[in-house]
Amino acid sequence: MEKFKCMICGHVYDPAKGEPKQGLKAGIDFADLPADWVCPVCGAAKEKFKGVV
Amino acid sequence: MAVRTISPDVYSIGAIDWNLRLFDALIGTPEGTSYNAFVVKGTGKTALIDTVDPAFEESLLKNLMRIGISSLDYIVINHAEQDHAGSLPLLLDMFPGATVVADEKCRDLLGRLLDVPEDRVTVVKDGDTIDLGGKTLEFIVAPWVHWPETMMTYLKEDGILFSCDLFGSHLATSELFVRDFTKVERMAKRYFAEIMMPFRSSVLAAMQKVAERDVRIIAPSHGPLYDDPSLILDVYAEWTSDTVKNLVLLPYVSMHGSTAKMVSYLTDALIERGIEVQPYDLSKSDLGDIAMTTLDAATIVIATPTVLFGPHPVALNAAYILSALRPKTKFISVIGSFGWGGKTVQTLVDTLSHLSAEVIDPVYIRGYPTGEDLAALNVLADTILKKHEGLLTRSQEGSG
Repeated sequence: MEKFKCMICGHVYDPAKGEPKQGLKAGIDFADLPADWVCPVCGAAKEKFKGVV
Repeated sequence: MAVRTISPDVYSIGAIDWNLRLFDALIGTPEGTSYNAFVVKGTGKTALIDTVDPAFEESLLKNLMRIGISSLDYIVINHAEQDHAGSLPLLLDMFPGATVVADEKCRDLLGRLLDVPEDRVTVVKDGDTIDLGGKTLEFIVAPWVHWPETMMTYLKEDGILFSCDLFGSHLATSELFVRDFTKVERMAKRYFAEIMMPFRSSVLAAMQKVAERDVRIIAPSHGPLYDDPSLILDVYAEWTSDTVKNLVLLPYVSMHGSTAKMVSYLTDALIERGIEVQPYDLSKSDLGDIAMTTLDAATIVIATPTVLFGPHPVALNAAYILSALRPKTKFISVIGSFGWGGKTVQTLVDTLSHLSAEVIDPVYIRGYPTGEDLAALNVLADTILKKHEGLLTRSQEGSG
């Protein structure tokens, strides 16, 4: 599964790790995160994330 | 600050902070700044656009009196940061009938930062308008330029864009409009590097919204106004682009002279290869100057000795800030010297991880540089030359 990087603060969402602080377990695809999900570091909206290799 | 008329019934009533020398306890403001606030009088209603730093709220109130404002209908808050919104609590006390106009995120921040009650705020969305009577304010929501709640306000009839921090400069000047852009450009560039550079993609989106409108005057919240918007729009187009110059930024700190010797040698080696180089002694330099140079630099080489087990804290501080500002720099490297061990190079490279830059092999040596070490610096200079030539070729291909 693809990682996504926040274009605002640089935080990387890694589906292999999930977001433990937000209670999101590993294995959730970025596309499957809720539409109102925000970056755990800076609060940027989902559309501010871009796919990274 | 004196009241100045921008166009009929539109006034600049903010404050000039001639003596500010350090902003946010972080970055130097060698030429002061201003906190611009504006009044737009329609035939029916009156709006104040932004306020001033609370240290200058008395000056703002005097100016409101000077133009005979006894009541305000709207106080538009483009940005909740205290240097713009900080006088809001006092104004809300003085003008109980006034409604704050802000976007949703701004309302939340005004509540948290300034304890502004929610019921005093009218939330607007991108493209919403307010008719003051012959003067129409349109709100342009521009998130992450440079906070999540940032917004601009466009006065349609007069073609004035109140752009908040976008297009601003920390510059105290008695001139309302930019007259000598060569003087202002340097401060605008510094400001861009310090404030806007990490949000280049959001700035581009905001500039697209500006381009869709007939903007005849740009009125930012810091520094002078532009009655020729192309001046600032053209340089912003360059600054937000991916283009870098054949320039190496070389921030350094030295304790016993070994690192300084390496810096001096590498500086000469780069000059000999026709590469522009800008060394900054971190113990004496202003972060704003360094930030501004990163805007153009294709390569950053940080030079530091090892203190105990890692980089000199001054070098680490610089790397932390450079990483946060996220310049478009393409290559980074580290040079310096150690006595007996440590993880300086790894710590610096990790700290700079927010940059999308390729790491060029560091030259990290033990003790005072010998002939062999200086030869390694020549190799580093050769590598930088090759990398820069590669960039130049690519950009020529791109434009051809």
